[in-house]
Amino acid sequence: MELNESDPNPAENIETFNRRPLDGLTLKKLIEAGLSWLRTNQQTVNALNVFPVPDGDTGTNMVLTMQAALDEISNSSERNFGKMAHAVAQGALMGARGNSGVILSQLWRGFARSVDNQEALNAANLAQAFASARDTAYKGVVRPVEGTILTVAKDIATEANEALKDNTDPVAMLKRVVEAADLSVQRTPDLLPVLKDAGVVDSGGKGLFFILEGMLRFIQGQSLETPLSYVQPLSSIKIDETMTMVEPGQDYELVIDFYPQGKLDLEGFYKHLEEIGTSIQLGEGDGMYRLHIHVPTENKYVPIEYIESFATMQKVTIENLLAQLEQIQNQEKDSQINLTPIEPGQIAVIAVAPGKGIGRVFASLGVANLVAGGQTMNPSTQEILNAFENLPTDKIVLLPNNKNIIGAADNAAGLTVKKVAVIPSKTIPQGLASMLRLSPHGNFDEVVQEMIAALDEVESGEITQATRSVEINGISVKEGEFIALLNNKLVYASSSLEASCLGLLERGHAEHFELITMFYGMEMEPTVVTQIEDAVRRAYPMHEIEIKDGGQPHYHFIISLE
Amino acid sequence: MNQESSTLGSIHVSPRAIATIVYQAALRSYGVVGLSPKNLVDGISHVLVKEPVHGVDVHYDGNKIEIDIYVIVEYGTRIASVASSVKNTVQYHVEKALGLPVHAVNVHIRGLRISE
Repeated sequence: MELNESDPNPAENIETFNRRPLDGLTLKKLIEAGLSWLRTNQQTVNALNVFPVPDGDTGTNMVLTMQAALDEISNSSERNFGKMAHAVAQGALMGARGNSGVILSQLWRGFARSVDNQEALNAANLAQAFASARDTAYKGVVRPVEGTILTVAKDIATEANEALKDNTDPVAMLKRVVEAADLSVQRTPDLLPVLKDAGVVDSGGKGLFFILEGMLRFIQGQSLETPLSYVQPLSSIKIDETMTMVEPGQDYELVIDFYPQGKLDLEGFYKHLEEIGTSIQLGEGDGMYRLHIHVPTENKYVPIEYIESFATMQKVTIENLLAQLEQIQNQEKDSQINLTPIEPGQIAVIAVAPGKGIGRVFASLGVANLVAGGQTMNPSTQEILNAFENLPTDKIVLLPNNKNIIGAADNAAGLTVKKVAVIPSKTIPQGLASMLRLSPHGNFDEVVQEMIAALDEVESGEITQATRSVEINGISVKEGEFIALLNNKLVYASSSLEASCLGLLERGHAEHFELITMFYGMEMEPTVVTQIEDAVRRAYPMHEIEIKDGGQPHYHFIISLE
Repeated sequence: MNQESSTLGSIHVSPRAIATIVYQAALRSYGVVGLSPKNLVDGISHVLVKEPVHGVDVHYDGNKIEIDIYVIVEYGTRIASVASSVKNTVQYHVEKALGLPVHAVNVHIRGLRISE
């Protein structure tokens, strides 16, 4: 493959550019170019995120800051370089977003201050301006962290000064400055260990590099629209180990190792691949290239065929991301529930939960132990006793969460020397409401009173299927119909699951409450859950609605109204 | 004060220790040029503190940490951005060091330094 340069004759452009004075209008054009190029590569900068650093969207922040700078000058036709630079600095200051944006605005401020009222700039002025930008930026922090945008600004100023000794042409200086910025960015991991650990370079420094490179590309007549086709060291390619979600069109992940025959045309390569897939990364080491790409199902072999056309392939890995995701989700479902460790003397709560999901919600609220059980699977007195006998405290609160289990809980309370209070919670929502009132170090009797009082603050609803035809409370139910129970009383029946959910909410006067929490059961299909969620959101647009995986058997939904 | 218990004993972290983490994190935040004592008579607020506990207040009520921090910011920076970045940096460093959630970081801008 041949390199296909998009710029017709760069040298001529530089010459034309050199004939123009470096004045306010030129600066405006350069700012525009810097911003375009930065925006084109915004995602690349964002991706350089040392998760979980506080400032994780550097690319976006820098683009917004530069955009504010450009907005400030967009209607200006100021010819004076100094005045234009001040306007840029002013705009950047007003629009500074995030840490990197603030530093960028300081760089512009220092830059502008040095060129104060100059009509046009020569190379010496430019070098001075870079130095002033550096000084101002460094003044803004007590303990400058090296290996960041600050270091890059410093290296830029140094190189500009060096360039001045060899040549008095501003464009030649900019060229050297861009090269120096590039090198400086590449060195950032050596200065800042957290970057090295994450296998990335500093994002703010990279952003600054893009701004300057955009200016240079503009002068050289190169495109500012095509995203940068760049090759990274093999070691820094990030292959997603775990995915929490798969976006449309990213069904398969391909990693291809290959040796190109001849020189690789990067721009053409990227251009071609962008039509096939997303998340493209290219790495190189010892002449071997590694491509990483996400593609939709129908394209899963296309990158292989494409690369085979010009390279020798060494290894191909194809992973089905959808299947992988499903696996991860299943693992999560089966994973351990983290119970709250109990200190001696504090109040420990034992909750009966019918499903893993509900158990997890109880665990997140701080229960000390869980007993599996619910409707049609009542735990024995012994099981309940076992759940708390070994806890290092003698203050125990039991949440049976079902009226059929309250008896067993009372029995367990009678069989131990520990001080046990049974909160007569008849439903899961009641149990959760009660749990919210727990203060583990409080006075036992007072806490128990509080927890009992909380039972009445929540309305509990359940949706299940009738096992036989019956008529209760004047509602006739046919076998197999979906029935709605409000606080354990039958209030609605319908052959449609959606209708009975809405019927339940209506009978429970959901309009008087603020929060609707719906735990869906283990047999529920995700699509059905989504359908019902949509219906509920449509019916109660002003309510806060939470949908949670309860994992309970028999009950399609357990609903709480608060 | 901040305690964590295990079968082997408990760990206590004093507010002063937390204040030191906050102090260090704040000084590494871009735009912050110093901390200022929290109880200051007007007029001497340009005095920058070297002692972390003077510019930082840490409250811990048994389950949440709340931090108040009093800073001097470089003149010419966008103060809203600097403050929000201080907030994030402080929260990140404290949570990373202690493993306890920080409930709130209140940033008080006590003054601006003009370094022309």
